[in-house]
Amino acid sequence: MSPATPPKSSFLAALMGLPRNVWHSIFRNPLPSNDLERSSTSFTNFFLHIHPVKVHKNSLRPTYTFGLGLISFFLFVILIVTGILLMFYYVPSTTQAYDRMLDLRGSVAFGTLLRNMHRWSAHGMVAMVFLHLCRVFLTGSYKKPREFNWVVGVILFLLTLFMSFTGYLLPWDQLAFWAITVGTAIAGYAPIVGKDIQFLLMGGTSVGQEALLRFYVLHVAVLPAILTLMIAIHFWRIRKDGGLSRPEDADPKITLEPMESAGAPKASVLEPKKVYGFQGLVRGPLTKVGQVPDNTVFSWPNLFLAELFTFVVTLSAILILSLLFNAPLEEPVNALHPPNPAKAPWYFLGLQEMVSYSAFWGGIGVPTIFVLLLLGAPYLDRGPKGVGKWFSRDRLLANTIFITFVVANIIFVIIGTFFRGANWAFVSPW
Amino acid sequence: MAVNLKRNSGEDSDGGKTSRRRMLGWLTGAGLFGSAGLSAVSNFVFIRPRATYGQPQRFSVGKPEDYPSGTRAILAARGICIVRDGARLAAISITCTHLGCTVGAADTGFACPCHGSRFDQDGNVTGGPAPRPLPWFQITLAPNGEIEVDKDIEVTPGSYLTL
Repeated sequence: MSPATPPKSSFLAALMGLPRNVWHSIFRNPLPSNDLERSSTSFTNFFLHIHPVKVHKNSLRPTYTFGLGLISFFLFVILIVTGILLMFYYVPSTTQAYDRMLDLRGSVAFGTLLRNMHRWSAHGMVAMVFLHLCRVFLTGSYKKPREFNWVVGVILFLLTLFMSFTGYLLPWDQLAFWAITVGTAIAGYAPIVGKDIQFLLMGGTSVGQEALLRFYVLHVAVLPAILTLMIAIHFWRIRKDGGLSRPEDADPKITLEPMESAGAPKASVLEPKKVYGFQGLVRGPLTKVGQVPDNTVFSWPNLFLAELFTFVVTLSAILILSLLFNAPLEEPVNALHPPNPAKAPWYFLGLQEMVSYSAFWGGIGVPTIFVLLLLGAPYLDRGPKGVGKWFSRDRLLANTIFITFVVANIIFVIIGTFFRGANWAFVSPW
Repeated sequence: MAVNLKRNSGEDSDGGKTSRRRMLGWLTGAGLFGSAGLSAVSNFVFIRPRATYGQPQRFSVGKPEDYPSGTRAILAARGICIVRDGARLAAISITCTHLGCTVGAADTGFACPCHGSRFDQDGNVTGGPAPRPLPWFQITLAPNGEIEVDKDIEVTPGSYLTL
């Protein structure tokens, strides 16, 4: 039992030590100066333990990943923060939404900047997620054991597009209205369920108040929740699949024989508990500590500094873009007169160009085949070779098919952007 | 683990306890997943509106005198074009059959600004991706002498109302 009143000196000492003690109760490690502290810093911190204590050097090579996935995630974070702030001033009503856009420009402090940041981050996220998808394909990173994480990634790409599509209607300007009119009509071409999906999306037979409210709910609640969950699964699986993909020769082979002089390997070596290695390499057959040359470095500071750098660059780029260029806002909705030509955002223009040939094949058929091919890629292409290298010769066929699809889509986007004028007639930009 | 061992060791060696337990397991699973499925379905029923707030599909567009012979009047708010040819009247849809944009009047008929579909004076497709001609709607003369259009009833293109 302690005395009712502690000696004055020790109470004073506690008071003096209060800030320090509180600080150390929150941050249990000093700034690391040795390997043990480096390990425990990333191991005991809630935010840092998303990464293993040590990462493979290959994961840190900028020219391997170009940080594309990370940039996508940081853009998503910027989108959430700016999006929540914009929600304070937005009203999903056909009579008010457009005025609120004007208010953001005219009377809300930082309103223009926040809207610009939200718009450019959204464009950036679509681009970065797509480039990330290309990187993963062209380095063969979807192969075993990462097949399902690739599937999650493809779903994330589609969710990103849908996120962008639902956000498009909210300003309630001409572009918004006609893009959504066309987009929901494309959904209506889907076999059997098409008309029902279209009706559910619009909450009626035409784009109006119900559609605006529905898209708002999807945009600010339903899709962000699904996206966040899928991102968590995506990240979790990276860890469980042994970190980022890397070439086979990046890891030295582990052989069982020369482990000890005495005869056959002991059964204990193969026990599953040994699998939980120091490096978080859950999939590895054996713990590698002390047996092989170490190709890993400590996450603190190597990985965390690289990520901080990426974040600062991403945020700076978005800030600069937002200060230089204003997010477009067209005339308020006029349901009677579509703008001519009525164009979707650039990343949907390839789709719109295809749709101008055939609504079903351009809007439903070809995209569905493309998505199914993407989803099926890791289950159709089972060859184990060529993982972890850009444009590996072992993957010439797969990469060629993929690049053909990508280039075809880019060509459609370019035609839709620059070569289409009034009534979607072919025009020359020169 | 113990259950597995029992299963492997032979069926119902414990006097039917295993199969009863499995049966209960199946029932529990079916109950849980069935409830989840029903909840999902009821969510869809909930978000599917029973009443919509759009415009009426059947409306009056004024007297025949408002449309002298040769008129092709686009009533954009109603989504139709009233055509008067001598004593004949017709209502042609101006909602593009491709993806629902509003078509505008062009020299040769109608043209869509979204994906370049073109139609002739009667709404037949003459170019672009539109899969069907523009529909014609039923047009009648109400007892009070006003023209009434019903967008829920399509008629064969070329069937006019003769005054």
